[in-house]
Amino acid sequence: MTLTEPAIADSEASLAAGGADAPSASTQPVATHPVLAQPFVTSDATTVGRLFVVASLLLALGTSVIGALLSFGRTEAVDPADMFGGLNAYFRMWTLYRVSFMLLVVLPLLLGVAMAVVPSQVGAGNLAFPRAALASFWTWKIGALIVVVSVFAGGGWGAVDGVTGNENDAIALTLLGTAMVIVALLVGAVCVATTVISLRQTGMSLLNVPPFAWSMLVSAAVWLFTLPVAIANIVVIYADLRGRPAIAFGRAEGPDIWQQLDWLVEQPAVYLMAVPVLGIVFESVGAAVGGRTSRPEIFAVVVGLFGLLAVGGWAQDYFTAPQDLRDGLVYVAFGLAAVLPIVALAGGAGELVLRGTATPERLLDARTVGAGSALKLLGAAALVGALRVVEPFDLLETAATWAVFHGVVVAGLVAGVTAHLTWPDRLLTGSISQILGRGTVVLLMVGGGLLVVTDLISGFASDDQDLMALALDVNVTFNVINLIGSVLVVAGLAAALAAMATARRTATVTGRRAS
Amino acid sequence: MFTTGFKFFFGLFAAFCVAALAYGYTTGGNHVGPLSLGWKGGVGDHIGYGVLVALAAASLTVSLVLVSFRDADAAAQAHLQNLAEVMTDQPVTPSFWPVVASFGVGATAVGLVLHPMVFVLGLTLVTLALVEWTMDAWADRATGDIEANRELRNRIMAPIEIPVVGALAVGVVVLAASRILLTVSQLEAVTVAGVVSALILGGAWVYATRPGLGRRLMRTLGVVGALLLLIGGVLAAVAGERDFAHHEHETHEEHGEPTGGDHGG
Repeated sequence: MTLTEPAIADSEASLAAGGADAPSASTQPVATHPVLAQPFVTSDATTVGRLFVVASLLLALGTSVIGALLSFGRTEAVDPADMFGGLNAYFRMWTLYRVSFMLLVVLPLLLGVAMAVVPSQVGAGNLAFPRAALASFWTWKIGALIVVVSVFAGGGWGAVDGVTGNENDAIALTLLGTAMVIVALLVGAVCVATTVISLRQTGMSLLNVPPFAWSMLVSAAVWLFTLPVAIANIVVIYADLRGRPAIAFGRAEGPDIWQQLDWLVEQPAVYLMAVPVLGIVFESVGAAVGGRTSRPEIFAVVVGLFGLLAVGGWAQDYFTAPQDLRDGLVYVAFGLAAVLPIVALAGGAGELVLRGTATPERLLDARTVGAGSALKLLGAAALVGALRVVEPFDLLETAATWAVFHGVVVAGLVAGVTAHLTWPDRLLTGSISQILGRGTVVLLMVGGGLLVVTDLISGFASDDQDLMALALDVNVTFNVINLIGSVLVVAGLAAALAAMATARRTATVTGRRAS
Repeated sequence: MFTTGFKFFFGLFAAFCVAALAYGYTTGGNHVGPLSLGWKGGVGDHIGYGVLVALAAASLTVSLVLVSFRDADAAAQAHLQNLAEVMTDQPVTPSFWPVVASFGVGATAVGLVLHPMVFVLGLTLVTLALVEWTMDAWADRATGDIEANRELRNRIMAPIEIPVVGALAVGVVVLAASRILLTVSQLEAVTVAGVVSALILGGAWVYATRPGLGRRLMRTLGVVGALLLLIGGVLAAVAGERDFAHHEHETHEEHGEPTGGDHGG
């Protein structure tokens, strides 16, 4: 007799006895824990998704405040280095702002939305590997904590003005925290992708999965192709940094470390954040106007193509002469081609509107406004990206790089808010009001738009290569407009958090009254 | 047996292999270089050969994934497993081991930079979490009955967990209490030990005479006491031991010197 036999025998006997009280796998309640313990033990994908969403939005608020301070430093009202307490501190905040928006805000925000929404979309009862999903959240959270604390303790991704011994340790911690965050995001992405691949309802082919689920499958594949390259970079940097003295890749006293990792927030890898946005946009427009596409396979191809153009581990100019890489045919082709999927998706969204009920109320629905805003920001980013790779414009290594970044990041944030409007029952317990939803989206859209425009103008106006964009080489007015853009993004994120809190409280009060 | 997707991508793999060989030999490859990935001989133009080999490897990987997942077709999976449909709602019991594993990874990372003890602690937590997690995952799928699964899991793990947790608890109590008693003065140490012993005795007497007291109250008191002990132990360890006055004759004896019977100290 094996170890499992008595228990199986008991279980079968119970079933044979009449089955009225015999629990089945799908109906038996799983043991509950106190509410406060839920975030630590839950095996429910929706809860894990919500944890990701709330944590990433809180980090987004902090990151956007850093962004506003950086923009304030460009207004010439104060010396940016003095404001942060030295050139190294300014560099730390400047790099934290970029890495944080990508790895601590937009990717986890969209991953959280996916964890909460995708299982129900494909007819799965839960996410594949729900415990791994919980581990991915906590690993990401602890990694994020290590990154933020170590950066404020003098770490970061290198320096520009020499380092002390303690700062070397803090830099090592930042690198390990970054690696933890990336690994956690990859584990979460694997959970989502496996859900789409293996836990779909019987009879649902991959071409029939909803657009957001498909975009997350593509995203997961692209993240898996690209993000491990960053981990490899980090391993090489860390090994050299901890060997004493660093001889090549881990030299912390200069910006070498950042230069080995900056490809992650530049074209084409910056579009890693944009792939799920396409799915959210398509579904939100469809849900708002009640339309369905006639050719779902075209959407699948468009998203797949955009995903292909977001694979970016190869575009590292630290190891290749910048001229050879950036002026190369592949880099230019990737930059130009990224516009095409966005245009195609805009066409697809237009078809949805035509096939649906295009009344003024539905066109002004917060979901439509959000989807339209995300698409416009993404289109603007891709357009700037295309201009950036055209050699005569000479926009490489200028602030135009950050125009692309800001466009994609704010598009991701708008898409995150729009997802809450489209799937309120999965992401919240109540619905966000139309006015709050529209207000939030408009704040983010205008803020992001101003950032894209001023960064692009700065790129055109700069006489020499000025990637850190310490000053806009136009006039004070543009600097102030840039600051207004940053402040609007902060306001938009605060409004998003307030809207979510209000929706949750309203639902709780309604639930109490009903009970 | 072989799915359509597998056939397509395996065909691509074969085509890329042939293309890589042809390209290698026509661009200066010699001996068996293009056949052995450059191990013996040249492969010709490195970039072109490398791209074609990479595409071949990617195609092979995709083909293997596709055949493993039966072309990601849920109906095919159900047919293969002889099921009406693929089960997608198998319950997974809540578990805190994923969180322990995450904290372990974090401790490992921090310890790698700051202190070897923290690194070892992190690795221990990760190992522990992985073992427990594996057992939980196995037990979840043992039968269709959650209670039976829990019993099965406990039958295997409890004989290991209870002694280990007990030994750890005793170790922590001994370590923390000894740190506290070694930090405070001699008189205070006697007082602390006496008061704590009296409290334990009093608590046990109250619990024995009034069994109606709630379990929650007793549990809360236990947790608070353990936390106080732990915090006190950590603070005491940070403060360090008090100065001990050594008897002079012991020192002399250690050095083999005559003490003359007049003891100091």
